[in-house]
Amino acid sequence: MISWDVLGAWLCAAMVVWIYSFAYRDNALYKLAEHMFVGTAAGYSIALALDSLNRVVVSPAVRSPGTFWTTSWHYLVPVALGILLFAKYSRKYYWLARYAVAVNIAVGSGLALRTVPIANIVRQITATILPLWGSDPVKVLNNWILVLITLGGLTYFLFTIFPRVAEGARPSPTYRVYRSLYYIGIYGMMVGFGALFANTIMTRVGFLISIYLIYIQPEAWAATVAAILAAIAIILGILRKR
Amino acid sequence: MSEMSALSSLEKILGSKELLYTLLLLSVILPILHPLGIPVEISRRTIDVYEYIETNLRPGCRVYIEVYYEVAARGELEPNLIALTKHLFDRGCRIVYGSLSAFGVIAFSLFKSMAADVLEGKEYGRDYVYLGYIAGGEAATASLARSIKGTISVDNYGNRLEDLPLMKEVDKATDFDLVVIVSSGTDIFAYYVRQWHTPYGVPLLFACLSVIAPSIEPFVGAKQAVGMLVGQRSAAEYEVLVGRLGLGIASMDAQSTSHMLIVAFIVIGNAIYWRRRISSKRGGSR
Repeated sequence: MISWDVLGAWLCAAMVVWIYSFAYRDNALYKLAEHMFVGTAAGYSIALALDSLNRVVVSPAVRSPGTFWTTSWHYLVPVALGILLFAKYSRKYYWLARYAVAVNIAVGSGLALRTVPIANIVRQITATILPLWGSDPVKVLNNWILVLITLGGLTYFLFTIFPRVAEGARPSPTYRVYRSLYYIGIYGMMVGFGALFANTIMTRVGFLISIYLIYIQPEAWAATVAAILAAIAIILGILRKR
Repeated sequence: MSEMSALSSLEKILGSKELLYTLLLLSVILPILHPLGIPVEISRRTIDVYEYIETNLRPGCRVYIEVYYEVAARGELEPNLIALTKHLFDRGCRIVYGSLSAFGVIAFSLFKSMAADVLEGKEYGRDYVYLGYIAGGEAATASLARSIKGTISVDNYGNRLEDLPLMKEVDKATDFDLVVIVSSGTDIFAYYVRQWHTPYGVPLLFACLSVIAPSIEPFVGAKQAVGMLVGQRSAAEYEVLVGRLGLGIASMDAQSTSHMLIVAFIVIGNAIYWRRRISSKRGGSR
């Protein structure tokens, strides 16, 4: 007798193989796995959102109404606003949804603005004000690089018009400083994008490795059968196109 | 002409995505089946995190851990979460877990099954609690910082928070000695910096995917977080430090070989590009 756990593990291995088969070519089994994933994920999110609502509001209100009405009545405000969002589907009452959206945006902006100036601006600027002289040469070099690249990046984005140099005239010191910072900014960003790309590869390869270790390796036979089926689906797809 | 045609055919072969994907698959699978045992050197960044916990957390301290990742990111984040949990329990800490992402609930249940040995002997409600999914994004983050029991009344399993011994001791951000954010998203780190660290000064520790590390590095640089564990590499290092080897360390050989392959492709691609460019320049000057 095959248990649900074993069947689930086989299905996991097969789905993983079919999703990765898209790397070679689009095929029917990939589409099956894709649609199943999207459907399951959407259904799961809805179920969990409803469960959260049940745990926080419905269940306490039904189990102990007295306590709920004295301590947690304010939960009904977001519930009411959430229900108002569904007014979008009515031509007559669609405007009611605007109240929910307005409150949502206002609360979000208010909460963020309360601390954004300190957390995202002041603390970030102060973190780049660093000593450029000292006894530790490595630290000093690091500080110089950080300060120059920060200034270079700001120069590149803030001063978007290049200073003009008259034909035959020697460039002014301002022009030289600006040009140097401009190029430091460009190269700094290139290094940043390179690091980002390298990290992206590391993450994607990490996903592949862990998926192999968690789902495919324990169910090698199921994965092999799924791979053979995916290969057949790819070949059939090619033949049908011809 | 023959040199150019040879370059073209080499470019055609190496340019086929099927070849790259097949080689990448082999470079992942073969080292797992036949481990190479490439040594893993522990980086300063990981040692700093380990030393912070060793130095600053005393037995009985309280830690909040945000579990915010989907199943796809398990490989990079789950080993970090397990290793950190083991270290925190070894230090005698008690942990409150929560998820601002719906998928955190699945991630936590998988974490529990994978870390059964770490949670063994730990009593639910006294040593650790899982609050479950808390809807509301940044607003919920701010609300939790002010009062957990004012935000939700029951945990993930329907237990009243007032009935759980650990939750009798903690309610707001300042009740915690450390907040760990294990996330595959970028925004959540900013939420905690803005709503927990900036107003209340709670120390934050990040565990993130490699791909988002550059985006949140400025928070660590500005001392808004005490440290950061980045992806599988940091997980492997932390597993070595806490003495519980798992998925992180098992992935390192495959990470090394697959990266060698990608570097080889980048070098070959650049060599072909420059050879072609030099050849066309020479041809043009004639």
